[in-house]
Amino acid sequence: MDYDLGADATALRTRLRQLIHAYVPDDFLGACTDDPADLELCNQFCRVLAEQGLLCLAWPEEFGGGGGDVWHQTIVREEMWAHHEPRGPQYMGVNWVGPALMRHGTDAQRAKHLPPIAAGDVIWCQGFSEPEAGSDLASLRTRAVPDGDGWLVTGQKVWTSYALMAQWCVLATCTDPEAASDKRITLFLVPMDRAGIEVRPIPSMLGPHHLNEVFIDGLRVTPDDVLGDVGAGWTVMRDALAYERVGIARYARCESLLQRLLEVLDDDGRWETLAPALHARWVRALIDLRVARLLAYRAVGDSSGVDPAAAAVARIVTTTCDQNVAEVLVDAAGPGALDAGKEALLHGAIDDHWRYAQAATVASGTIEVQRMLVSRSVLGSSR
Amino acid sequence: MNSALPEDAVAYGEAARGRLVRLGGVDFGLRAEADRGARKEVRAALSDLGVGELDVRADLDQFLAAAQLCRVSGALCLPWPVVAELMRVDGNRLALIDASSPRVDHGDLDDEWIGSDLDGVTHQLHVGALPRQAKLGPFLVPARLGEPRGRIPSDDVTRHLVLGAWRILGGLEAALGQVVEHVKARKQFGQALAQFQVVRFGIADASVALRGLDELARFTSWRLDVAEPAQRSADAVALRLHAADTARSVLRTCHQMLGAIGFCDEHDVSVIDRHLQALLRGPVSGETLAMRLVPAVRSGEFETLFSVTSHS
Repeated sequence: MDYDLGADATALRTRLRQLIHAYVPDDFLGACTDDPADLELCNQFCRVLAEQGLLCLAWPEEFGGGGGDVWHQTIVREEMWAHHEPRGPQYMGVNWVGPALMRHGTDAQRAKHLPPIAAGDVIWCQGFSEPEAGSDLASLRTRAVPDGDGWLVTGQKVWTSYALMAQWCVLATCTDPEAASDKRITLFLVPMDRAGIEVRPIPSMLGPHHLNEVFIDGLRVTPDDVLGDVGAGWTVMRDALAYERVGIARYARCESLLQRLLEVLDDDGRWETLAPALHARWVRALIDLRVARLLAYRAVGDSSGVDPAAAAVARIVTTTCDQNVAEVLVDAAGPGALDAGKEALLHGAIDDHWRYAQAATVASGTIEVQRMLVSRSVLGSSR
Repeated sequence: MNSALPEDAVAYGEAARGRLVRLGGVDFGLRAEADRGARKEVRAALSDLGVGELDVRADLDQFLAAAQLCRVSGALCLPWPVVAELMRVDGNRLALIDASSPRVDHGDLDDEWIGSDLDGVTHQLHVGALPRQAKLGPFLVPARLGEPRGRIPSDDVTRHLVLGAWRILGGLEAALGQVVEHVKARKQFGQALAQFQVVRFGIADASVALRGLDELARFTSWRLDVAEPAQRSADAVALRLHAADTARSVLRTCHQMLGAIGFCDEHDVSVIDRHLQALLRGPVSGETLAMRLVPAVRSGEFETLFSVTSHS
């Protein structure tokens, strides 16, 4: 039994923190703001990471990666998320689009798409969810109808994060509505500036760029655009989800924010005067975060998938921690908690965290889906 | 990173389960409430398992083997102060106490007792007879402080807290295991309870909570070998607090899923719940444990990815 993440883990963590300190200002709150400079900062930072071999650290060396292991990947995930994800939307290309291309893409697709991802030069979005297909992705209705030597796509996507920022999209479509649910879907790699795609942002409490609608009308796609086989989209998506099976390292940002707030309160002399009940909540939140981190490590370590519920267990704990910590932060911060903007407490990070945490148990697989997975492992199927 | 328990510890736990089940399992714990003398059978069983030779202070392997014994003893409601036995000081059983009102689980057993508060301040204990049959903590005996015995190493308190948490974990695992079987077998409205989503989600949440406690118990045990004493101490308090909190929610789920049978002593969950209470409430309340952690959070002794120790 050994919980050490490896001999070079500390060095990697230190190196990442030094880079972040050098390139990312303290008041940075992520790419999803109204200020285009924040996205540009992310793009620049990705290029720095790429130059230092850190952007695709966990990719195999044959595809331009660093050949790192799952623990290197874990440390990168923790440090990036803790510091408001200075890779911006590019984490999606690095974390699952790239690996999906390695496994399911053609040689031409790999040659075309992997180098820009590895260089930090491209943003991808995923066109999965639809108005009538959220957790139940197999029921999606966006149709790709055969047309000449390709298909003509018509439909609508919703909640599509980063759609206005992205140059490329992995678009899920239904190519055969009569087929079995796992043979209906085909994925296409589509440039966002191709005729037939219109993006409309959805104003939300999460902030800009998180949620968009994508309207698709007369979008022409070709066999060269297909990722994997026609009708095999479900398999590719399942693999894609497996690459990020434990989800983002929400516990890391929570621990960071609690530490930052503690230091502010301590400097102000307010830490000692917090109500005992709030101190107790703070303590319990930190313990829960430790548990969340350990369960995430357990799921990461089980990369062979021996325990099908491990990732779901980790996600349930870390997402609920995220929301609980949001409440602790707001209550401990006092009257200024709801102040937004860079002049606010922690440069507005508490307001930012609370808003984004509301989506924690919904995004990337709802907590209900995770509970279904856990209950299935304990009780067997419900059918 | 490898959170798997050592094979030897797992094997010892299985051997312990096999031997202790022969005493009668949870039913034996229940019988001992009415027949206190029955507990002497435990001594022989523990002797067969070589418990006297286990040195929980020596190395992590022995500690983890002992932890599995505690886990099994919780699952079986073993009517014996296993943790106090494992943590003996100079031949005396060691109890963790609230010095303002000491209580000792199984304190009526013939033996000498030392009581330590969470700061390691110890006294010889004068333990009386069982005052009356209590439903909750049925073997809990009031005691009074005797001669001061100085301080024990902080690690003794730390290890005591951690082993107690392993015992709580074992009890909760057994309780939830019983409930899982119940909801799979029990039919209402024409289908098994396990087919109702509200039941499935309740079981899922309890299962998640137990997996979290299991992982924290392993991690905290491992830290005994690698962390600084103050960090180990904070870790142990955190584990014990988390164990008590987890017990509250998991046992609530268990009772709700079982319905009335869960309150009856013919069902293991009733006995497990009652017998765990002494560990869940003592030596101090969960809220007191939480307050003890507040300075450790501030000083960084309760470590996170971003804590800054006051020494650095």
